[in-house]
Amino acid sequence: MLQRSYLTQVWHQLSSPAAGHGEKSAKTWKMLTFLVALPGVGVCMLNTFLKAQHHSHEQPEFVPYSHLRIRSKRFPWGDGNKTLFHNPHVNALPGGYESHE
Amino acid sequence: MAHQAHAYHMVDPSPWPLTGAISALLMTSGLATWWHYKTTTLLFLGTTLLLLTMFQWWRDIIRESTFQGHHSTPVQKGLRYGMVLFITSEVFFFIGFFWAFYHSSLAPAIELGGLWPPTGITPLDPFEVPLLNTAVLLASGVTVTWAHHTIMEGARKPALQSLTLTVLLGLYFTALQAMEYYEAPFTLADGVYGCTFFVATGFHGLHVIIGTTFLMVCLLRHTHYHFTSNHHFGFEAGAWYWHFVDVVWLFLYISIYWWGS
Repeated sequence: MLQRSYLTQVWHQLSSPAAGHGEKSAKTWKMLTFLVALPGVGVCMLNTFLKAQHHSHEQPEFVPYSHLRIRSKRFPWGDGNKTLFHNPHVNALPGGYESHE
Repeated sequence: MAHQAHAYHMVDPSPWPLTGAISALLMTSGLATWWHYKTTTLLFLGTTLLLLTMFQWWRDIIRESTFQGHHSTPVQKGLRYGMVLFITSEVFFFIGFFWAFYHSSLAPAIELGGLWPPTGITPLDPFEVPLLNTAVLLASGVTVTWAHHTIMEGARKPALQSLTLTVLLGLYFTALQAMEYYEAPFTLADGVYGCTFFVATGFHGLHVIIGTTFLMVCLLRHTHYHFTSNHHFGFEAGAWYWHFVDVVWLFLYISIYWWGS
């Protein structure tokens, strides 16, 4: 028990929480958070917003392909014909888009 | 008075493994009865029992460790092995879904038009919301690491700040993904494309929700002074799980969202 294998020693060092980084490590990660990570998220948010504005809001054309809109078994909710996140504007039913009121 | 002559934790008898097993039985049979007979009783019972089991079992572990001091170094080492093995098993779980995706997409069947994405499928633009989701999860990996260092340094307020930020980013990802699911022009029922997409990303989303919940519990525990600067394995386990969730997303993004478009 007194003799530790090299592997055990390495494991102990890696898993020890106070594995001896500099005392200022939290500061480093805080800087990374506010100077890199969060601005990166901000840039991607802006990019998404701008790209979305360029979209046409047309309904995609309906073609009754047999390999899509599969209905082997009714869904156990509602009328059994709509998926869980059904969006009538972009998700056609097997027969076509639902008529808008 | 009897004392144990070893550093291990001989756990007191507990009903939670049994209630957990019963809930597993109720949930599986509940799914079957829901799908075939449209009744949700068993499923509802099973889910309730599962939630009660999880709450009470983990509450007991917190009592045994934080309040009763049973988590000595060898005990903690065993828990570390346990978490690593569990995450490894989850990796294999996802490997299955990636296998299915590549099986169908590398040699697309003639019924799909012989191409990928199949004819009639408009894939999501990988450089819109999916890219934002990637940034969000990567950022949350940075904030959870910041949180870990603040806990090690005993800095209470920064720890609360960084952990809260991590949780918020996790919630933001879930909200974005839910919106994507609603706005997608293809559904689960759209052949093998829809199936592989929603099953793989769906299970990932479930794991994001689980990970976010884990971190929320860590946040709550930290407000109650459960963690010390050199003993906070509950938090570490949560952080490891969160990094795993992030890595799975990166694979999903590269394979399904980017290559698969």
